[in-house]
Order: sequence, then structure tokens, then C-alpha cells
Amino acid sequence: MYLEQLPMLAPYIPFILEGTIWTYSLVGGGLGLGFLIGVPIAIGQVYGGRIIKGILDVYVWFFRGVPLIVQLFLFYWGVFPAMGFKLPALATSIVVLGLRSGAYQSQIFRGAIESVEEGQMLAARAIGMSKAQAIIHIVIPQALRIAIPGWTNEYAILLKDSAICFVLGVMEVLTRTKYVVSATGLALLPYLFAGIHFLILTYGGTKIFNILYEKVHIPGLVKRGM
Amino acid sequence: MEKAYLFLVIGLIIGLAVGIAAGWFIKPTPAPTALCAYPRGKFTEPPPPGQEVVIVHGFDANYPPFTVVLPNGTPAGFDIDVMKWIANKYGWKIVFKPWDWATIVTALEKGDLDIIASGMTFNAERSKKIWFSVPYYSYIHEIIVRADETRSVEEILNSGEYIAVQLGSTADKWADRLLNKGYNFQKLGLDSYVAALEALLDGRAVACITDSAFFNPYIKQHPEIADKVKVLTTLGAPEVYAIATRPEDKWLRDKINEALEELMHSPKWDELLEKWGLK
Repeated sequence: MYLEQLPMLAPYIPFILEGTIWTYSLVGGGLGLGFLIGVPIAIGQVYGGRIIKGILDVYVWFFRGVPLIVQLFLFYWGVFPAMGFKLPALATSIVVLGLRSGAYQSQIFRGAIESVEEGQMLAARAIGMSKAQAIIHIVIPQALRIAIPGWTNEYAILLKDSAICFVLGVMEVLTRTKYVVSATGLALLPYLFAGIHFLILTYGGTKIFNILYEKVHIPGLVKRGM
Repeated sequence: MEKAYLFLVIGLIIGLAVGIAAGWFIKPTPAPTALCAYPRGKFTEPPPPGQEVVIVHGFDANYPPFTVVLPNGTPAGFDIDVMKWIANKYGWKIVFKPWDWATIVTALEKGDLDIIASGMTFNAERSKKIWFSVPYYSYIHEIIVRADETRSVEEILNSGEYIAVQLGSTADKWADRLLNKGYNFQKLGLDSYVAALEALLDGRAVACITDSAFFNPYIKQHPEIADKVKVLTTLGAPEVYAIATRPEDKWLRDKINEALEELMHSPKWDELLEKWGLK
């Protein structure tokens, strides 16, 4: 039955696929900005004083607690205009996804930092490194490697969260699919196609992260094949 | 005689001093525009001659045949053609911007869009925030059932079964109104009219509430469905579509009204209605 409908969907396929550029701008921007925000927060939460920890906890609490759609509206129509500049929809979406992903990523990195053995820090201090040097040169390089599997998860989540940015008019894959449903009157097939497309994007992305993990993982840290 | 001159000179000096002082301290009366209920907007006044007019046209691309997208991603539909005609008449440039229906009014108010021409119903609630052009299309709400349905309107509305609507649409409001009147059915809210009709066809709903502006062209476009469904009854009075603008953009609204009047009285109008199956 659905094969018969394929000729109706076929001319729209390039239009849907073009949305991948937008989707990846959102995911790439969000993930990158989130990384830049997440790592310092994680360090602050593990090693910071009470005040720093308190402030960072509030940040994480806010960005993990408030629904994405509310944050998008808040920044697009509230925060940025109040600050005196009007960012376009795509830029706002990337910033909000980044701020939000930063909150989630900070917890991934925090777990990773805490899982680096305490002895590593002690050994670093014993050979004369300062605390900051020990964090930057000893703890973080290990923690980032440990964090990759968790981080892969964040990629897959962000990939699908990016679809919500349509509320600001960002034309990513799912928005386009919805338009095609309206234009063709096909209720299921375009969504099915988009679903498969997302599966491929998720598979491709996680595969790349897995290869990266295999290349840089700490030998002997986890015993494999047992 | 000399005394008279002296008085005249002193009088003049005093008069001048009072005049300058008065001019200095007394604020000028505000210009009439500042007394207007709405501050000047982007299109309150005609733009200076020679300046290109760029209008951002916001629309919901989920609303065939008024606003949809073509396979190459360009917008199309009855409302798109109407705006292209208006822009062509005045030499305006139109920027088409698809927008989520739920926030489209806010986007117009905040200036992300300049007009909404996307099958938008003219009603009192919306008119508090945005001002409409003259109406250009009228439609009526309908209850659609499967062709083999034998029950009456009353029986369907009291069947206790599902009736499908598009969530947040005017059909959705109609379902609520009927439920408030005491009818006994369950509302099945879906994300589009297409989905609501699909639910009727595959038996998950016994009826679907939609409007003639969607249903009639859709049936023409999909003749295979035409003999599977029928209109059971219409609901309420006809409603109208109009183009929305910001209240302060008087010049723009006047221009759109003028163009709409001209277009609606020309043979081109029938041609457009015919083209999009709205006749």
C-alpha cells in the first residue's frame, strides 16, 4: 500500500533531505557550545567552593528543568531583545540548545571527572604540579575519554531535540516532513521516511563517536571481553 | 514725544524678553501622531519615494490549498498567489517566511513578520491584537462521516464514540462547544485536518469536524476519497478569512485593502479560485 504512495513522496525527498543542513547546524552548534560550557561547569562542580557550586547548581537546575520550548521563547522574545539585540531564529536556537546541552553535558563530565581515581590527583600533586595543572593535564584528559560514550548519548538526544526549534521557524528535517504531509495528503509515509533518515543520522554519528572512543580510550581502564 | 519713544523701546524689550522666556519654558504642543493610540509602526506612513518596500509574509505551510510548499521548497497556494499579485501591483518585494501557527500572532506583533496571509479567520478575539484587511474568502464548518453512515446528526453526536478534529483549530472549538451543549461523544484531537480525515477513513472516528475551505479542495485533489465520505451537516454561520497586519500599520493595510478590492473584481480572482479548487 505504501509503495503505491512512493511516487507522490519522491519529488519531495530532496526538500526533506535539505533540512539535514539545518538539523546539523543546530546539533553541531549546540553540542560544541554545550561542550565549552559543560566542561568548566563540571570542573567547578567538582573542585569549586560552596558559592561557585551553588551558582552552577542553579544554572544546571534551570536548564535541565525548564522545557526546551519555553527556553526558546524566553530567549527569542524575552532575554535577547531585553539585552538590546535581536538574534535571528537559527542563532537563538543554537545558543539555547548550547546552554541547555551544557547543563546536561556538565553532568556527563562531572561523572567522568569523579570516576578518575583519586590517586591520579595525589600523584600529580606529589610530583609538584599545582591543583590547576593537575586538573588540566592529568584529570581532564582522562575524564574526556571516559565521557565519550555518555557524550554520544547527548548527540542522539540533541539530534531529536533540534526538531523543537521549528517553533521559531527553523526549517529542519521534521518541520519539512510536516509540510510534505500537508502538501501530499499522505499521513504516514513522509514520517516513516523522516524516521529512517533520523535512524541513519543517529547511526552515523554514534559510529563516529565509537570509533573516536576506540582510538583514544585509556588502555586497561576497562577490562574487555570478559 | 521722546517719552513715547522710550516707552515703545522699553515695551519692545519687555515683550521680547517675555516672548523668549515663554518660548524657552513652555513645551510645544505634541504633534497629532503622538496622540494616536498606537505608536508609529514600520508601515504607518508611506515609505519615502524610491525606497524598496519589503514585506515579510508569515504563513503556516500546513494549510492546503491556501499555503503549502512545493517539492523544490518554494511556497505555493491561493494566499501566496494573492500576495504575489499584490506585490506585483505595487512593486513590493515579498519575503515568504513559514511560521508555526501556535505563535504566528506573537511573531507578527513582535515584528518578525509584517503580515499573515494564511487562511486566517477574522474573529473578535484576534482583532484585539491584530487588525485585519477586508475579508476575501468565506467558509463554513462541516461534520464529515463515512459514505455508508446511516445515523442522523443527533445520533452521531450522542453515540459516545470518537469525533476527530485538528487540535487548536476552529473545528476543535466547535467540538468543545457541542460537548458543552451536552452532547455525548469523545473528541479525538490530532495535529492536522489530513490526520483527522485519515482517522475517519480508517474507522478510529465516526465523524470528523472540518471546514469547507479545507475539505472541498482536498476532495478535488484526492478523488479516490470523494466517494468514501460525505458531508453530514454544516455547523453555525459562515466565517471569513482576511489578511492580518499590526494595528499601527495603517498605510500597509490600506494598500492591501485597495489591491484586494481590485483583484476580487477582476477575472483573475475566479482564475485563482479555480486554480486552487476553491470555487
